[in-house]
Amino acid sequence: MASFDTLHHAWTVWDEPAPAPRGAVLEHTRELDVFLAEIERRAFRMAQIALRDADDAMDVVQDAMLKLARNYASKPSAEWRPLFYRILENGIRDLQRRRTVRKKFMVWLPGPKEDPDNEAQDPLDNVTAGGPDAPELLMRDQAMQTLEISLRELPARQREAFMLRNFEGLDVADTARAMGCSEGSVKTHYSRAVHTLRERLGEVW
Amino acid sequence: MNENIHEAQGREVQGMLETRSRTLFQESVDGLDMRVRSRLTQARHAALAAAAASSRRPWFFRLPMLTPAAGVAAAALLGVALWTGGIGSHGLAGDPANLEDLDMVAASDGGSGDALEMLQDDLDFYDFADKAAGSEPAA
Repeated sequence: MASFDTLHHAWTVWDEPAPAPRGAVLEHTRELDVFLAEIERRAFRMAQIALRDADDAMDVVQDAMLKLARNYASKPSAEWRPLFYRILENGIRDLQRRRTVRKKFMVWLPGPKEDPDNEAQDPLDNVTAGGPDAPELLMRDQAMQTLEISLRELPARQREAFMLRNFEGLDVADTARAMGCSEGSVKTHYSRAVHTLRERLGEVW
Repeated sequence: MNENIHEAQGREVQGMLETRSRTLFQESVDGLDMRVRSRLTQARHAALAAAAASSRRPWFFRLPMLTPAAGVAAAALLGVALWTGGIGSHGLAGDPANLEDLDMVAASDGGSGDALEMLQDDLDFYDFADKAAGSEPAA
């Protein structure tokens, strides 16, 4: 019956994959927690700039976190950042596509027209009233809004390259991994983005 | 010479743009309100909990992720097996006698409904003969 024991042992090993030591799992989870905590706010702002909506941005970031944690947590931590941004950018693109389709259908349906005034937010809304730095804060807020508008007007790939390289600080190789393109393409997109932004913001800044 | 000056100025302007935009972006990140921060923290905890739950799940609960690929592979294998005749050698098509019987049934009266009736009659007769042989005592 030695063969039965061997088979039984093989089955048991296959049935229950050897669990990682508890300490290692905890360490891994903590590492992922630290990574996500470090990245989440910037990711949210980048998604918000691209989507112009805080709730949609929150959904996309949450989804990206879940997918990274579920499917790629076992990857080396050095790969998490480009992977996370790749998931995030895919989510943003999917949402934008869905919006475009929805808009096409909504054109045929009767309903209230969008109020263009809702698009432009008053910068004063975000400034704390009566604060000592109010003028300075107002100026910064206006500058950020101008930057956001200019970024939204860029083609999607240029905007991605600019935000990942400049805001997130990814190098060219990681940006290429996050965008799913070659390093040469990243350089081209980034260079064009900077050129366009310089033209648009040059007078303001 | 002028080109070099232009290039240097361009780089300087680009550097200023990058620095300024990065600073503004970081300030906007730091200025996120507590509600957003709290929701982000909740989302992070949910992601970590989901990851922990999925790593604890036994292997057979993770199988459905492979189902489409496994289904296609199984269908392809079955197709290949049928095509190469692995099953046919023991089946209806592989036995010439069966084919002859079918031909006879199909050929009689041009394969009309009568042929099936005759086949049914034969079966009834064989059934009756079998019972009669089993019940009658030997003379």
